[in-house]
Amino acid sequence: MGEGNILGKELLKELELCGLNRRDFLKYCSLTAAILGLSELEFVTKVAEALESPSKKPIVIWIEGQACAGCTIALAQISYPSAASIILDKISLRYHHTIMAAAGDVAEKAYHDAVKQGGYLLVVEGSIPSADDRFHMGGGMPFRQRLEESAKNSNAILAVGACSAFGGIPRATPSKGISVSEALKRAGITKPVVNISTCPVHPDHLAGTILYVLVTGKIPELDSKGRPSMYFGDARLLHDNCRRRGHFDAGEFLTDWNDPKQKDWCLFQKGCKGPVAYIDCGIRRWNDGINFCLDCGGLCQACGDPVFYDKVAPLYTAESEISKKIWAMREDTKSKKDQV
Amino acid sequence: MAKKITIDPVSRIEGHLKIVVEVENGRVKDAWSSGTMARGFEALLTGKDPRDASFVTSRFCGVCYSVHQLASARALDAAFGARVPWGGNLIRNLVMGAEYIYDHPLHFYQLSALDYIDVMAVAEYKGKDKDLLAVRDKIVGLVKAKDTYPLTPRYEPDEFTVKDPEIVISAVKHYIDALKMHSQARNMGAIWGGRTPHYQNIVVGGVTSYPDLNQIARFRTMLDKQKRFIEDVYIPDVLAFGTGPLWPLATMGVGGGHYNYLSYGDFALDPEGKKVVFPAGIIIGLNPANIKVKPVNTEKISESVKYAWYKENKPVHPYSGEQVFDLEKKDAYSFVKAPRYEGKPMEVGPLARMIVAKNPDVLSLVEKGAKPGAVARHAARAIETKLMVDACYTWLDQLQTEMTKPGFKIHDTEHWEPPQTGMGAGFHEAPRGGLGHWIKIKNKKIENYQAVVPSTWNASPRCENGTRGQYEESLIGAPVPDPENPINVVRIVRSFDPCLACAIHLIDPKTNEIRKFIIE
Repeated sequence: MGEGNILGKELLKELELCGLNRRDFLKYCSLTAAILGLSELEFVTKVAEALESPSKKPIVIWIEGQACAGCTIALAQISYPSAASIILDKISLRYHHTIMAAAGDVAEKAYHDAVKQGGYLLVVEGSIPSADDRFHMGGGMPFRQRLEESAKNSNAILAVGACSAFGGIPRATPSKGISVSEALKRAGITKPVVNISTCPVHPDHLAGTILYVLVTGKIPELDSKGRPSMYFGDARLLHDNCRRRGHFDAGEFLTDWNDPKQKDWCLFQKGCKGPVAYIDCGIRRWNDGINFCLDCGGLCQACGDPVFYDKVAPLYTAESEISKKIWAMREDTKSKKDQV
Repeated sequence: MAKKITIDPVSRIEGHLKIVVEVENGRVKDAWSSGTMARGFEALLTGKDPRDASFVTSRFCGVCYSVHQLASARALDAAFGARVPWGGNLIRNLVMGAEYIYDHPLHFYQLSALDYIDVMAVAEYKGKDKDLLAVRDKIVGLVKAKDTYPLTPRYEPDEFTVKDPEIVISAVKHYIDALKMHSQARNMGAIWGGRTPHYQNIVVGGVTSYPDLNQIARFRTMLDKQKRFIEDVYIPDVLAFGTGPLWPLATMGVGGGHYNYLSYGDFALDPEGKKVVFPAGIIIGLNPANIKVKPVNTEKISESVKYAWYKENKPVHPYSGEQVFDLEKKDAYSFVKAPRYEGKPMEVGPLARMIVAKNPDVLSLVEKGAKPGAVARHAARAIETKLMVDACYTWLDQLQTEMTKPGFKIHDTEHWEPPQTGMGAGFHEAPRGGLGHWIKIKNKKIENYQAVVPSTWNASPRCENGTRGQYEESLIGAPVPDPENPINVVRIVRSFDPCLACAIHLIDPKTNEIRKFIIE
């Protein structure tokens, strides 16, 4: 196969350091290559090139607005490739205040130098307070100003997590958090924005999108909400891929979490919003495939969609407007089926 | 002459923190701690279905997310009159145990270690260990490529910085290993938590995740691996640093503060809670030779807003907390409020818990001459991680027995619907310290919601009588020989494991008052 030629010694050493052997790596590549529509050989070559030239590492600036750092923790949780290898080997992370060694003026200088240099990938976690700039000051300036100046010189922007993609929970607070797209629109700045929503960002979605950008130099295809189509959108409706779907159709709804008989029944009556969630969680799952919301008896609250949070509340009943719509759709489909 | 130094942002912490210190003759003379970002979660919760609270408050913080889910669920349990079955409490304990196991090592390696080691010393490593040589080559490769971000820039190493290549290189290797262990510990919590960050299984009345024996086996297998890392790598590293190169900082007691400690107590080891991992207690003015622990009375907690950007009000108990943002307020310098116990500032967190518990390992360090402060906080954190690992094994055994009994329960389904009216408080010892949530329910909706979180205690500004908060007080006297390089200041602040997003979430529920300060 000639794998040895493609995977140079340097790269193999690095992979080993990240806890990956050659076989893991090739398996990973072939899966990702399939997603990207590239031949495996072409992909491996490109990734190998991207990884073996550290001096050309793309510059990344990561800024945190009205955030809880959950998306940063999602970054630290990435397993394939490991977070350490992304941070140290694949990107030149010039500013990330939860990770970087520097603090205060030293950190701010690194930020301003990178912004001046330009041509970087900007990652934004958290929303921007629109009620008053003073709800978020840092490094002596409003966060809004930091976003605007760093966006202007960026090549592209990743809005990670529900807050930066759509406003998320802060949208419903008095600080009136708004999304990156909205903040840039208000400032008259036009830049490509990729919304990698969910609360927090899914580690796989984050890793995959970063890898896509590194490998192709482009942003991935987006759905109508500005999200990567490989993970979100009309073709990815959670409800269609839900293992509890049969019970939804059969009208078997879980009412008691203590009852082993009901364990796999549909969670709609407890408040699940899976029928309006356009995301691949049901197939991809979370935490390296160990589990996800619906498999711990928890509910989907459509945290990857713009309806989250204010429009999906109340969360733990079927009394929200959205739940009522889901029920009406079900009744409608059922009566049509009955007619047939 | 005194010189003011501003550190904004303080990095490698959760959230947005500004520290200002006044330095005179090479020592910190005065200090101010400011939380600089606010969202306003309470206003959002007002009028909502009370059950939303555990989901929403989890988003106070994505580092210690589920601690709020649990404290909130406990406040709801009290307000709903729900009795969580032992099976539900066991699963709550296990997923929170997993959180300790990832969170404490993450704090030591990822958030703190860079303050104590000169990473660039690895270039001098002369040993033959294959793994360590690979680490050396990696760092040297970064240096050669002239791109060592995010390991540089940094504050310059000082006389306390570890420069021995052998120690530094193994610390850097462990920094990388710890990230891997971190990710696996989170996966362990996800076995019942569903996913991380932000578990999905903790709700009022118990948990949603009905367990099976395979999950117990899986958790145990993963725990075995974590136990080895904690016992063989994390604890030895912390002790080697603390009793070796950092011993002068430890015996000076740099970062001591007020020496008042609070632990609410938590983590029952039996259904009645007769035995717990962390006992409750209050210590005012610690005397290490004669530790006096008093019982906790949460009615004695009040919050001052004198120096915070909220409308002037006298200090009140969290149940009656009424805060309106006042961004114009004279003398205010933080979004963090100032909680006090009997009017006194308290430290919460691992050091507080271990001193209240009179933990023998911590006391033996004190006997050898260590004083409570920055280094002691790291030691206490490592020591209690081991206690949590041991407790997880106990809970796994108990859950295995419990779940095979007929009538096994994880949830109080009878108290699932919100009451017409009610109030309740929920307490939890989170990795960062004592956490309290208070809720009032009216017409089945949230009427008022308050949380006093660990970093509100530790990061608070001054209160009514001008007494400094714990970060502020702990900085007094800290050596800062070079004002351009205030590395001891960030060492002290980071030793608390700050979490600022949690600390700032408050606002008055009356929407008409909120409008007053919103500038449209």
